[in-house]
Amino acid sequence: MDTLTRRKFLQLTSGAVALGVAAPLLSIKEIAQAAIDRPMPPGTPILVIVTLYGGNDGLNTVIPYTDPIYFASRPDISYKPETLLPLDSELALNPSMKGIKALWDQKKVAIVRGVGYPNPDRSHFSSMAKWQTASPAKNVNTGWLGRWIDTQAEDPMLAISLGSVLPPLLAGAKRSGSALPLGGLVIPKGSLAAECLMLSKSSKNDSKLMAAAATSMRNLFSISTNVQPLLKKPAPTPIDLPTINGGNAGGDSNLAQQLDVVAKLIAAGSPTKVWSVSLGGFDTHANEANAQAELLGAVSDSLSRFMGQIKTTTRSNDITVMVYSEFGRRVVGNGSQGTDHGTSGPMFIIGNSVKGGFYGEQPSLKNLYKDDLAVTTDFRDVYATVIEKVLKSPVEPTLGKWAGRINFL
Amino acid sequence: MNSQRLETSRLFNRFGFGPRPGEYAQALMDGTTQTRIKLLTVPLVDMGAAAVKEPEITDLGKRPELNTTEIGPFVVALRYQTQQLIIWWLDRMAASDNGLTEKMTWFWHGHWATSIEKIKHPLPMYKQNKTLRAHSLGNFTDMTKAMLNDGALQFWLDGQENTIKAPNENLGRELMELFVLGVNHYTEDDVKNISRVLTGYQVSRNGDVAINQNRRDKGSVTLLGQTSSFTGDSLSEFLTARDEATTFIAERLWYRFISSTQAMPSSFTVKNAFADRSIAAAVTAMSSDSAMRDKKNDMAKAPVEWFISACRALELTPSNLKSSAQLIKYLTKLGQVPFLPPSVGGWPAGEAWLSSATAQYRIEFATWLIAQSNLRVLKELTVEQRIEKSTDWLGVAEWSPRTQAALGTSINNPQQFALLALCSPEYIVNA
Repeated sequence: MDTLTRRKFLQLTSGAVALGVAAPLLSIKEIAQAAIDRPMPPGTPILVIVTLYGGNDGLNTVIPYTDPIYFASRPDISYKPETLLPLDSELALNPSMKGIKALWDQKKVAIVRGVGYPNPDRSHFSSMAKWQTASPAKNVNTGWLGRWIDTQAEDPMLAISLGSVLPPLLAGAKRSGSALPLGGLVIPKGSLAAECLMLSKSSKNDSKLMAAAATSMRNLFSISTNVQPLLKKPAPTPIDLPTINGGNAGGDSNLAQQLDVVAKLIAAGSPTKVWSVSLGGFDTHANEANAQAELLGAVSDSLSRFMGQIKTTTRSNDITVMVYSEFGRRVVGNGSQGTDHGTSGPMFIIGNSVKGGFYGEQPSLKNLYKDDLAVTTDFRDVYATVIEKVLKSPVEPTLGKWAGRINFL
Repeated sequence: MNSQRLETSRLFNRFGFGPRPGEYAQALMDGTTQTRIKLLTVPLVDMGAAAVKEPEITDLGKRPELNTTEIGPFVVALRYQTQQLIIWWLDRMAASDNGLTEKMTWFWHGHWATSIEKIKHPLPMYKQNKTLRAHSLGNFTDMTKAMLNDGALQFWLDGQENTIKAPNENLGRELMELFVLGVNHYTEDDVKNISRVLTGYQVSRNGDVAINQNRRDKGSVTLLGQTSSFTGDSLSEFLTARDEATTFIAERLWYRFISSTQAMPSSFTVKNAFADRSIAAAVTAMSSDSAMRDKKNDMAKAPVEWFISACRALELTPSNLKSSAQLIKYLTKLGQVPFLPPSVGGWPAGEAWLSSATAQYRIEFATWLIAQSNLRVLKELTVEQRIEKSTDWLGVAEWSPRTQAALGTSINNPQQFALLALCSPEYIVNA
């Protein structure tokens, strides 16, 4: 089988995610005209979300390389200090993250340490749902950015996820983001196009699912008309990623390709304020070291390439990248040269406007909380900051009353 | 909407892979009760399924080293057998006279979701598929025992790495969370302890499972409040007997057969029917539950369900389509290939299948399928009948005015008519 492309896994094993009710009907002409009429003005902030599926081992990402407990806890899978990329006297990056280290040296990387939420859940699906809905205590069926989309004017290009399956992150109560597969969309032509457009109209008795089916056809026309010409260029060769280890918790495998498309579309002025990309394979229960290093290398290389690509555009100061995973892993290795599901982990915020440096407290290896890393920062502090500073929107409709902020922007 | 048409359409699409030409109209004449009995009664021998030739899936041996002369033929054989395996199952789904067994096997594949992407070898996946089919309407406790002895599942969740010296929690956690009890019905200590019980399993390349007693933790553990020296079998009995398992399996059935958007009501009759862990009893109860008549409970067809129902209507056999590789490419684009679930949580449901990308791929895929069908049923209808009678052909309760208008533009063009029908909201979503 050469079909190794992973699909985003969704939270849907345990609950439903609501997607768009029927949006007002737009014609191809109107939308094409709108794209010409309203390319996003330079200076409009853009958020790029990178989701690492499977639970990235934070302790082997941002490594406490002078702490003897780190080495004692995981003799099989700790890194030799001399191979690491030191950030300060206590923490160093994984040896494969040279690209992000270079950006760190340019003060473009904020590392938020010990990020999680109260009562950590070690289920991939529950924990990812908590991160994507930003509702750790209560199951809700909207994503945090979906709720933000609900507050904005309808625009199928406002928030776009790369890949053909939409992550719950972008599902709102009224509307949702759009999914864009790599390689772009090919719309029907001729009389078939007109008839497919007829099928995409909403009908009075449509159930929510049928309305969503009609909407998906409508979005096909609007997105493809606008972005199709931009995607003609061949995508770069995907990085060859390990698929043997860490391979059963979802996520896509072609981050470099996804970010390449995002860079092109940003450069072309797509009126998109939120982009979502992903990488899977971080569920490293066994033989972790090489697998995780390759994956982190892919994250680091493709993000540094992405930052390089947008440097040549007028938008280089507009972009903020946010990287997260559903949980970190246990401090102590499991004996299969891997680690089991844990709690908190680091988040990366990258961009020219980011105030580089460390934020949040590094969880202590000496004082573990129930044998695991403590959560020192709530992810909603990061989200709230991003909503205010990047999306320039009030926090309350998305996160409720949430006071915490972090000063990385 | 006509309630008999709605319920009949649901029976065909939820408990099978859609009607063949003529079956839906016949069912309307037979009445709902008769139809339910017919669709829910598995024949001793399903002639349609029996006519599908078993694939030749063999032990391909150890993977040769890179840069040897053996690696080329090995990889070719591996790909060929994997493709045969996928196409064989699709053929069974399309060819079964009674769709229930394959539909249930498909449900359980998504439940105990295991991907060949990690297993690599088709033989263990083939064996797992047979295990799932054998237990698909049997006893859930027996199924759980069998799955703990399934090589593909054990390997998928690192069971062979789980030893007394070095416990690995992957299988233990998912056994409780995703397979038997549901999330949050256990503590983190339970995860640690169940993982001790599951130590010692060893998996051979062809998927056989043995227990290495030296690697097994034989001590007693406390699990969900009970202290015992569990074995795989006694663990399966203990877990599946719990009340949480009743609710969890009922919820999973609800989510995949009734509604992925509405919450399961406490009155769902499956819970009582599943008391002795009989899957057949649960499914039978579900098929006559009042939820089957509730308009709210529509379901998006997953890509494989959509494809198989189209094959049945278009009188196509998956293995006869031109190029199995092309077929698998289309399914890959739509995000669903048998034996390749995206994660241990299985495939998504509902709106996740209704993106702009899937809209495009569905049009391409349907165009490809229609070109290979003689569209017998559609062509036998007069032009005047086509809009109205195509609902019976496809097992659709009714077309919306929107879809009628679109179909009306193509009544003289059977290919385009079929394409619009297969890509209409009423066909993609089972009302």
